[in-house]
Amino acid sequence: MRLQSKLTLFSAVSKIVVVLLLIAVLPPLIHRVALVNTDKRLNEKKDSVLEIISNQGIGNFVAEGSEGAYGSYNLLKEEFISIEQIPEPIVVDTVENSLRKVENEIVEYRVLSLTFEVEGNYYLLEIGRSIDTIQESIETMQQYALYFLAAVILITVFIDLAFNKILLQPLIVIVRRLKKIGHPSTFTPKTINTTTSDFLYLNNAINDMMGQVQDAFQKEKEFIGNVSHELLTPISILQNRMENLLTDPEMPEHLLVKLVDNQKTLHRLKNIIQALLLISRIENEQYLKNEEVSVAALVNEVKDEIADRAEAKEVTLKVDLEDDWTLQNANYSLLFTMLFNVVSNAIKYNKPNGSITISGAPKGKGYELCVTDTGVGIPQEHLPHIFNRFKRLQGPDNESHGLGLPIVQTVAHFHRIKLTVDSTVDVGTTFCFKFGKL
Amino acid sequence: MHVLVVEDEAGLAAELMHFLKQEHYKCDWACNGEDASERIAVNRYDFILLDLGLPDYDGLDLLQEARETDYEPAVIILTARGELEDRVKGLGLGADDYLAKPFSLLELQARMQAVSRRKFNVKSSVHAFHGFELDSTARTVSYNDQNISLTKKEFDLLHYMLLHKNRIMTRLQLTEHIWGNILEDDYDSNYIDVHIKNLRKKLSAHAPTDWIETVRGVGYRLTL
Repeated sequence: MRLQSKLTLFSAVSKIVVVLLLIAVLPPLIHRVALVNTDKRLNEKKDSVLEIISNQGIGNFVAEGSEGAYGSYNLLKEEFISIEQIPEPIVVDTVENSLRKVENEIVEYRVLSLTFEVEGNYYLLEIGRSIDTIQESIETMQQYALYFLAAVILITVFIDLAFNKILLQPLIVIVRRLKKIGHPSTFTPKTINTTTSDFLYLNNAINDMMGQVQDAFQKEKEFIGNVSHELLTPISILQNRMENLLTDPEMPEHLLVKLVDNQKTLHRLKNIIQALLLISRIENEQYLKNEEVSVAALVNEVKDEIADRAEAKEVTLKVDLEDDWTLQNANYSLLFTMLFNVVSNAIKYNKPNGSITISGAPKGKGYELCVTDTGVGIPQEHLPHIFNRFKRLQGPDNESHGLGLPIVQTVAHFHRIKLTVDSTVDVGTTFCFKFGKL
Repeated sequence: MHVLVVEDEAGLAAELMHFLKQEHYKCDWACNGEDASERIAVNRYDFILLDLGLPDYDGLDLLQEARETDYEPAVIILTARGELEDRVKGLGLGADDYLAKPFSLLELQARMQAVSRRKFNVKSSVHAFHGFELDSTARTVSYNDQNISLTKKEFDLLHYMLLHKNRIMTRLQLTEHIWGNILEDDYDSNYIDVHIKNLRKKLSAHAPTDWIETVRGVGYRLTL
């Protein structure tokens, strides 16, 4: 998951947790607030009533001769006030919930009770407010609180998303640039437009690191160039000198044979150096991949080129291709060398009257080309090492320099071709190349 | 043919000159770019064998200079720099051929002959020998106007040996000419023997082929 998505997700989840916490805590809190407010209001009313009584006297509320009581309800019985003369001077000053019967209906009220004395008589004042009314305001408050919280979450999540996007933009630019690098040599160091010091540091670190990698590649390239020149020039001199000696009519026959032996040794040395240079050059990306290669055309050309060798070894060479496959961004001559080496090995290590089949067919989203021989096979314990250029395995002929298959593997890697090999001693070997989209 | 060998390695130049003189070429040697530049300006060469890696000059600049002369010498680049881009650049600048070091002197001569034919319009592409005729342009071999069917490699082998007639040619030299520089594990000289056997068989159906001589332990020679 991308960093930006993770940050936004985290912010959204943390906010939801906070909201859930608030939902759990909010009802008792609002309930408490509503009660406190109600009590405060009841006390204010009490003060107003007492002030009216002190100004106007109690007589307006409690008529002479009546039973000394006064009661008032509003229409919906949400509030009531009652003043009642009491015989005993009991001191009461409380606010509590209690049930009252009003016109045959039991209603729960928050009731403020207070006793007071006027002209030697004791009265009980009660001011009540219906609990239902309080509950309604509690629910309304809760509802609005929830709407508000939801709105806050939505707005802040969007703000976070936008902010993260702006904040992480330099990182996205860096990642995009890194993704584009096919080979270190294609990287060009760039500055990044940001005030975030971490990103500046990261960008500079990547620029420096890629610079070092490019230097290393450049040095390797120069090294390969120097090795080519320094080693191949003396080999060239020796080769030409031997050729000149071979033309000398005075040269005795036994020396000629020795010269030919030397020529073979030199040829082997030349081949080893050239094979190692080829591998290094491929790994150093010094070959262009700018051709379209048809697998069928490649197979047929290899077959034409090598058919006479198969014939000389009395080995049958069959080609069985189902459909064709075009490799984009490829290097024809490298692919030719790759397939040529495998088929050449299949001929070299085949049995008399043996056969080689080059078969190809679409497989999955790609194409699979296999070279199967009926040769001597490769022992299981050697199979993991056949592509290892540093491990020389003794071939049946004791002549090979052991770099043919490492070349095959290097070319396959270079073209992102999956290479597999399966072999049974005395039965044969199958090399398969799986071509995919590049 | 007047040839200029531009090569900073004295040993290599000496071997090249020795071979070319034996083949009756007239040779000059330039050991650096400046010397070569002067010689190109003053003399009229048919061939310039140009090493790209010179100590004081980029060989490609020298190639450019050769191209700008009023006579057009044939240029074969000889270099240890085998990179594709160098090759493309060299040929793009007008070189006639390209040989990566190390190369066989016989191969060089074959290339020079091919370039001469192309560049200097040499018409004699027909070699006659012991009643046989090989036409290198039409790529045919015949005996008394009777066509002899050879495979591509058999033809190449016969043509190459004719080019270097009366010279001992090792199996290795023949192998390198036929398969070029394909980098495989090793070479198998038996393939050459098989080709020679087939050649002898096809040709001896018309006339004796004792002129294809086997040099024991070394290779073959056409004695013409």
